[in-house]
Order: sequence, then structure tokens, then C-alpha cells
Amino acid sequence: MRHYENLVIVKPTLTEEEIQAKLAEIAEIITSNGGEIIARDDMGMRKLAYPIDKNARGYYHVFYYTIDPASIMEIERRFRINEELLRFVTMKFDTKREVKAWTDLVEATNKRAKASAKTVEAPAATEAPAAEEAPVATEVPATTEEVVAS
Amino acid sequence: MAEKRRFKKRYCKYCERKTDFMDYKDISSLKFSLSERYKIMPRRLTGNCKRHQDMIAKTIKQARAAALIPYTVSRKAVVLTPFEEIK
Repeated sequence: MRHYENLVIVKPTLTEEEIQAKLAEIAEIITSNGGEIIARDDMGMRKLAYPIDKNARGYYHVFYYTIDPASIMEIERRFRINEELLRFVTMKFDTKREVKAWTDLVEATNKRAKASAKTVEAPAATEAPAAEEAPVATEVPATTEEVVAS
Repeated sequence: MAEKRRFKKRYCKYCERKTDFMDYKDISSLKFSLSERYKIMPRRLTGNCKRHQDMIAKTIKQARAAALIPYTVSRKAVVLTPFEEIK
């Protein structure tokens, strides 16, 4: 088992649910090949530094996982077939020093995920129905205002 | 010789912080070794040591592949940048 990190950029033209479905599919690819996802970092919709396939934006998501090195080729093959993936970057963490950096990154992302889960606890509870998109959208600017105010 | 004295004594900022690993997703930390046009700054200007210069060069190239940092900035894009900040 070796430590890996995978950054994927999903097409911005998809809806929120389709993106989540796509990410679940990617996670499934990793786990079905014997990988174990330790942490996930949702970087969200970002502006790309340069257009990829005429797309100016992309949905960034990072997976931290351990997997047998032989399975990486299969995962990358599956990623390449996937048309909704604009780009993926696979990083190997091999040496002792790199593995330490990997654990640090995982800890940091988990901490961040916990912190964000606390603040977004209220909307997360009412997340289940798909029609709830509008209130979530209105809550986001509210929180940013708070950040600015504080 | 007299010309050289004008500059401050250079040292490696990464050595000072004892950096062992650089994350390509952390763009703000890469800014130091990038020029305005997102070129990798040479070692003779930043004062990085060889080891950390090699690390930062690799990290910047990884960030470019992930579309976090542009490869090149054309004259057109430079003009557009202020508008892009607003979105």
C-alpha cells in the first residue's frame, strides 16, 4: 500500500447533483480497485488559470487515499475515459518525508472539514430534498457577510 | 564588486522555515518564487538554495498542470486580470 493524492477537475456545466454523482463515481473507481479513501477535500468551483476544453471554470476535488501501486494505472485509465473530468493530477507520496507531509495534509483537511461541518450544520440537516437549493444559495452570502463583518 | 554590495545579503527563505515539503495546492506559498507573469524566478534573484529551488520549480510545474497557476500570461490576459478578480 502506498499513499496517493488525486486532484480531479469536474466540468462546470453539470448541475450540483450531477457533480456530486460524478465525485461518488470517482470515489467508487478508487475503492473498487482496492483503495481506501482517507480524506476528501472539496475545493469547490474555481476559476481555471487557463481554459481547458473551452471551460473557464472547474469544480475541484481532492482525494487522499492509500492503494496498491499497481492499481494506479487502471484508475488513471478509467479517469481518462471519463468525459466529465477536465483534468486529474495524481501525486505519489513515497519517501518517509513525503508520507509525513501526506498525513499532515490529511489531518489539515479533516480539521477543515470538521470546522466547516460545524458552521454548515443547520443547512446540512435539511440537505436531503433536492428542492432545498435556493435556501442554501441564500445562506452562503449570509455567512460571507459575517466573515467580512468579523 | 562595488555593484554587488548594493543588494541585501540573500538567504534561502525556505531553509529558514525548514520547509521539507511544498504543497502545489497552496498557491499563496508559491507566489514568492513567481514573477508577475507567473514565470519561475531565478535563484540569483530570490536567494533560494539549490535544494529548495528544485523543489519549488517542481511544485510550480505541478500547480500549472492542475490549472491553479497559468503557464503563460499573454498581453491580453494581463489586461483582463483586474476584471477577472471581480468575476
